[in-house]
Amino acid sequence: MPERIWRKPLDSEKAKLPKAEIHILRDQCKGCGYCIQYCPQRVLEESNDINARGVHPPRVVDESKCVLCSFCTSVCPDFAIFVIEKKECKENVKHD
Amino acid sequence: MVEGEKQKLGESSEEVRIGVYVCHCGLNIAGSLNCEEVAKFASTLPHVVLAKDYRYTCSDQGQAMIKSDIKEHKLNRVVVASCSPRLHEPTFRKVCEEAGLNKYLFEMANIREQCSWVHLYDREAATEKAKDLVKMAVAKAALLQPLEEIEVPILRKALVIGGGVAGIQAALDLADTGYEVYLVEKEPSIGGMMARIDKTFPTMDCSICILAPKMSDVGHHPNIELLANSEVIDVKGYIGNFHVKILKKPRYVTKDCSACGECAKVCPVIAPNEFDAGLAVRHAIYTPFAQAVPATYIIDMRLCLNKEGIIVCDKCIRACERQAINFEMKPETVEIDVGTIIVATGADVFDPSTLPNYGYGKYPNVITSLEFERLINAGGPSGGHLIRPSDKQIPKRVAFVQCVGSRSNRNERQYCSNVCCMNTIKDSLLIKEHWPETEIYVFYVDIRAYGKGFEDLYRRAREEGVKFIRGLPAEIIEDKKTRNLWLIGENTLQKELYKINVDMVILSVGLEPRKDSEIIQRLLTISRTQHGFFLEAHPKLRPVDAATGGIFFAGCAEAPKDIKDSVTQASAAAARAGILMAKGKISVEAITPITFPENCKACGLCTKVCPYNALTLRKELKRVEVIEAACGGCGTCAAECPFEALTQKHFTDKQILAQIDAVTEHEAHKKIVAFCCNWCAYAGADFAGVSRMQYPPDVRIIRTMCSGRVSPKFIERAFARGAAAVLVAGCHPGDCHYINTNYQTQKRVERFWKKMEQLGLNKERLQLLWASAAEGERIASKIREMHEMIRKISLDEIERTKKAFGGS
Repeated sequence: MPERIWRKPLDSEKAKLPKAEIHILRDQCKGCGYCIQYCPQRVLEESNDINARGVHPPRVVDESKCVLCSFCTSVCPDFAIFVIEKKECKENVKHD
Repeated sequence: MVEGEKQKLGESSEEVRIGVYVCHCGLNIAGSLNCEEVAKFASTLPHVVLAKDYRYTCSDQGQAMIKSDIKEHKLNRVVVASCSPRLHEPTFRKVCEEAGLNKYLFEMANIREQCSWVHLYDREAATEKAKDLVKMAVAKAALLQPLEEIEVPILRKALVIGGGVAGIQAALDLADTGYEVYLVEKEPSIGGMMARIDKTFPTMDCSICILAPKMSDVGHHPNIELLANSEVIDVKGYIGNFHVKILKKPRYVTKDCSACGECAKVCPVIAPNEFDAGLAVRHAIYTPFAQAVPATYIIDMRLCLNKEGIIVCDKCIRACERQAINFEMKPETVEIDVGTIIVATGADVFDPSTLPNYGYGKYPNVITSLEFERLINAGGPSGGHLIRPSDKQIPKRVAFVQCVGSRSNRNERQYCSNVCCMNTIKDSLLIKEHWPETEIYVFYVDIRAYGKGFEDLYRRAREEGVKFIRGLPAEIIEDKKTRNLWLIGENTLQKELYKINVDMVILSVGLEPRKDSEIIQRLLTISRTQHGFFLEAHPKLRPVDAATGGIFFAGCAEAPKDIKDSVTQASAAAARAGILMAKGKISVEAITPITFPENCKACGLCTKVCPYNALTLRKELKRVEVIEAACGGCGTCAAECPFEALTQKHFTDKQILAQIDAVTEHEAHKKIVAFCCNWCAYAGADFAGVSRMQYPPDVRIIRTMCSGRVSPKFIERAFARGAAAVLVAGCHPGDCHYINTNYQTQKRVERFWKKMEQLGLNKERLQLLWASAAEGERIASKIREMHEMIRKISLDEIERTKKAFGGS
């Protein structure tokens, strides 16, 4: 079906994906860069800061691109990064 | 020469007795040339014992006359001067056979498509040309030999390419007849365009409701092997014996999938669903629509987070209870052997963003008719509510614009797309059914409601208050605030300008050939029309056959058509393929090469040019061997052989040289000797005739199966006998009916040009033309151009050329 696709799908709100909240334990990071390299959505990059261990910890570029696959958590050797689902007020009401 | 071959090539002592029949074809021929005079002329030719002109030679009476003449006058060769051999050669060959004459002792002169119809207003010149054409046919006929055909088995398996409604119907019909069928579909599910449409005209049936049971039949049929998400990548072989390679792309989900959909719920990637024309979302793991067959989900690896080969995200794997997800799947190549192939590859829709005056792609409320189908469909993104994309409100005023990408000189789409008028009428009634207050305008060029029940539907739409306005809008302008649209144009019936404001515009887009139909064309060596749809063998009598044996068409691949016509054609194609397979064998034309081992130097040149590997060099025996069943019959080996150790049966060097000699016997300096390949250029010249394109009567066409048969010595002979010019015409490079033989043609002509240059001759006198079967005008204009060119050639130059090539 090679028609040109250019519109935003009309039901894209229905298919809203959970929003992510990324937590980086900066001083626990040893700067191996695995999380940056393996993130499929290219959410992270190396920051210019220097942490307690004397390395550049990662920094979030665009949190909205994160799809909560949590692969960064899996590959981090130092347990220095984790992702949780962001609870929005409205959604809280719905869930409850 | 071996005695047997001598007999086969028939240098026998039997007296040649030729009967010539000049057909009037009513006034089709007799209206533009003097048939009596041609017949009288024919009676003066050598070996002709009988020459008659007759009103309709192909009629039963005409056929009976030939049969009784064969017996009464002991005719052993028959020449009929009438229409194209591509039309009636089989008819007259049968007549000869029924009278006890070998069918290869028949020859035809094409005085209709290539004479009377292209020289409608020059009776004298047309009559002279017809005499020449008859003379050529008689000269060849005198050298014709009886030949035996070999039989090839036909595998009782079929391949259907494309799983739209046409492919589905063809596959089911063949499978129900009892043949094994492979159905190959490029998309993840079969169903094609019909699955995407909401209702069908004129009965307003729900499209998917009538299609889904058929799709499911395909999925369960014991005789059908469904290969979805697969593409045909290679086809080798010939009628009855095709060897096909199919690339089966990985789904990453195994057959254990129960289509529960838990995987898609957790998949974190979303994208527009192509099935819904991008109006709805899907996930990276998905099924295009609820009724899909096969129902197995599929992972779009371009989107999946695991595309780099590492399992980054395992949400779907964890969600799948049946453990049906397998990221290790690799593309597979499946090889199959089939006897027949049905091409049902369908059509694409026109992209209206190439017409900037309609603003598609810029104004959100301008949509295409296909987007409309998804919007009005209960399974679509809006749950069947017609909403306009800008604010998701139900529009109160709607306009349809017809012929978008059809019947227009812009974009070179001059053809009518057949389905859009009725589709719009159906769509307007659908809107009226749900929201009767909606104001509907239809802007059209002509409303074509030609089919059964169509006019009734059209009347109903008018009764419901749909306003039909003749005259397409020149421009659509958007009101920036409201996102409403102004249509500005001329009502050509009332001769007044209109400016109409609506909430939404639906562009009724036309159909166009699949963008990848060129690949199918090359794989199957079939032809396409000037608009790009596949070309049938005969527009009236063989409408579902390809010119290439064993290949048939169904659905929009051949031309735009509605569902009913697609289904009808699919059943016809299945029946045609079934006839071949029921017979189980077919005789192939006796146009294979014949060798003269005593001349053979075992140089192996012929084996190198053969596109079918049908020749093997036996160096130790100092000869080549022919595998007749593998031979396609192009004759390029005969053109390549420098030692006259090889020629093509029924198109022997002697026969072709005799035709050249006949053309050049009188006033050669005014004539163009043309060699046209049977499949493209000769068919194109016929097409010029059918379309009554007029061109100067200088040209005399000699038919060869392939332009690759044209040996340099033929060109040499034509020039040595004083011909003004020579034209070699064949299929476009890449489109050769015999795989790639026309590259040999090109090589030989280029070599000949070099030779002419070295001899100080004007190389423009030898022309090479690529023209497809649909390009009649290309051939006609080439002849016109050459006509101008040969007028400037002096007799002196012709004499010089004659000498250079050893003529007298």
